[in-house]
Amino acid sequence: MSMVESKPDVLLIDDEPQLRRLVHSALSEAGFAVRVAETGKLALGEVVLRAPDVVILDLGLPDIPGAEVLRALGSLCSAPVLILSVFGEEKDKVSALEAGADDYVTKPFGAAELVARLRALLRRSLASAPEPVYCFGPIEVHLASRRVLRDGQRVRLTSLEFALLNMFISNRDRVLTHKRILRELWGPAAEDRTHYIRIYMARLRSKLGDPGGAASYFQTESGVGYRFVGRPPLAEKAAGPKSGGLAT
Amino acid sequence: MLGRPREYILAISVLAVLTLGGWFAPLNYRALGNLYLLVVIAVSLRISPVPAFVMAVVSGLAWNYVFMPPKRLAFSTVHLEDSLLLITYLVAALVASQLASLRSLSYRAELLAASDRLHRTLLASVSHELKTPLAILRAAGEQVDTPDAEKRRRVAHEMGSAVHRLDGLVNNILNQMRLEAGTLRVRKDWCDVRDLVDAACRSVGERLQEHPLNVGIPGEVPLLHADAFLMEQVLANLLLNAAVHTPAASPIHVSAGTTGASRHGPGRIFICVADEGPGIAPDVRGRLFERFERGPHAPADGLGLGLMIVRGFMLAQGGEVEVQSAPGIGCRFTVSLPAVKCEELPQA
Repeated sequence: MSMVESKPDVLLIDDEPQLRRLVHSALSEAGFAVRVAETGKLALGEVVLRAPDVVILDLGLPDIPGAEVLRALGSLCSAPVLILSVFGEEKDKVSALEAGADDYVTKPFGAAELVARLRALLRRSLASAPEPVYCFGPIEVHLASRRVLRDGQRVRLTSLEFALLNMFISNRDRVLTHKRILRELWGPAAEDRTHYIRIYMARLRSKLGDPGGAASYFQTESGVGYRFVGRPPLAEKAAGPKSGGLAT
Repeated sequence: MLGRPREYILAISVLAVLTLGGWFAPLNYRALGNLYLLVVIAVSLRISPVPAFVMAVVSGLAWNYVFMPPKRLAFSTVHLEDSLLLITYLVAALVASQLASLRSLSYRAELLAASDRLHRTLLASVSHELKTPLAILRAAGEQVDTPDAEKRRRVAHEMGSAVHRLDGLVNNILNQMRLEAGTLRVRKDWCDVRDLVDAACRSVGERLQEHPLNVGIPGEVPLLHADAFLMEQVLANLLLNAAVHTPAASPIHVSAGTTGASRHGPGRIFICVADEGPGIAPDVRGRLFERFERGPHAPADGLGLGLMIVRGFMLAQGGEVEVQSAPGIGCRFTVSLPAVKCEELPQA
């Protein structure tokens, strides 16, 4: 198997042949080098052979439980993992995200959506050093000096509000679970105090003048967490619109 | 009614064993009387009324004859009231147990009939409702290789809507099955009402776009203690209903607030989804939350599961749903949950 060096290497793990074919063709067209595996064992073999840049993992594999594949992947390589989840298995999805998966899409998903998520994961794993200033909408965040400007006007954030915003910026386009946010900002003892997040999110949104609804910078993932989608105003449309049409 | 000989043999042999055991057991006669009562009830649940009645009388007499003081193995007239009382207890217990078994029988028959009806309706409506988007997909699939780019774009859009519709139907069938099987797990958490409404709007998607949506949620609405996933399904079903049962461009209003807060408690938090459509006739309103009930003027798609799921999910969370409607003016669905005070935030 020869591959062009610059193409990101994605490993697709799913036991449905038709889904593998379609996702394979969509991803190849989008400029990914795609490897496929239909079982957990084959997938781990592929990873040992060569570490992929990003992994797409279906949780319902026939041979090894999803959680175990996830753990094995984590010990073998550092590639980000995107989960393919199914309606009605919210609990599995959340526990996979807490066990180290980086994002999820729900079947049936649109190819555009999948490609956008993969690119976001790759961007993040490539860009290690954070930019000194991050802009989205009318907001400017000076990360080193911890200053936030909205339309050029200073916005006063408390240190926890800033920490929350900072966490979102460094995990943009990815799902942050409630537990993870609580653990990082308030410590492990606060893992189930979701009202902290709700209250801080409401304050952060109002201070930043978040438009809310579909235009919100902080998209709500019901029962899971938040996804920060604030983008620099002039950013290339690489991530594409979220209107896959097929998205649930 | 009279019972089979086997039942009499069972009753008498159980009594014989009990009496023999009682003879050697270090128990006083009152404890033994209670034991008779228990055993007779247990056995009578499995046998016909007449042998059960005979068993009750015989056990009352046996108790008196064998165990009643002052002298064993003799009828005691001193404690005649005790014996009569025991027999009365036994008969009352028998009547109650027979009634219970009769009721459970008719309940089971009702359940069976309902489940039969359910399966027939499910088969009919599922095959129709699921096949329509499939037909669209198939027709569209045959047209995607058209050289006309504009047509290709339109076909792709049709496929997208068909898949979205199919997805919504399958989700509701799954929700319904989880409700029916009683496997629904409610995981309550603190939710922001605005977040729930946003997520629901996103999951309804483009079918909401033809309607102006007015969301009026005041800032002081407290956090809701609810299962975010279930609430998203509830609100998505209500929004979708409002969108498909009203003409295009007819507005939909979403509001929220608290009601009944007082010194005695924090009251309830409600979320309203109101439309300005044709409304619901009073005779339909009572059956609105039954599965597969659809209004007489309902559009072609939908299984009639939505409101059933709304009610099921709200009840599962300890909440409720109500509907108000005036024909020609619109209808308003209100879901509500008890408000729960959350603890204070630590100082940051």
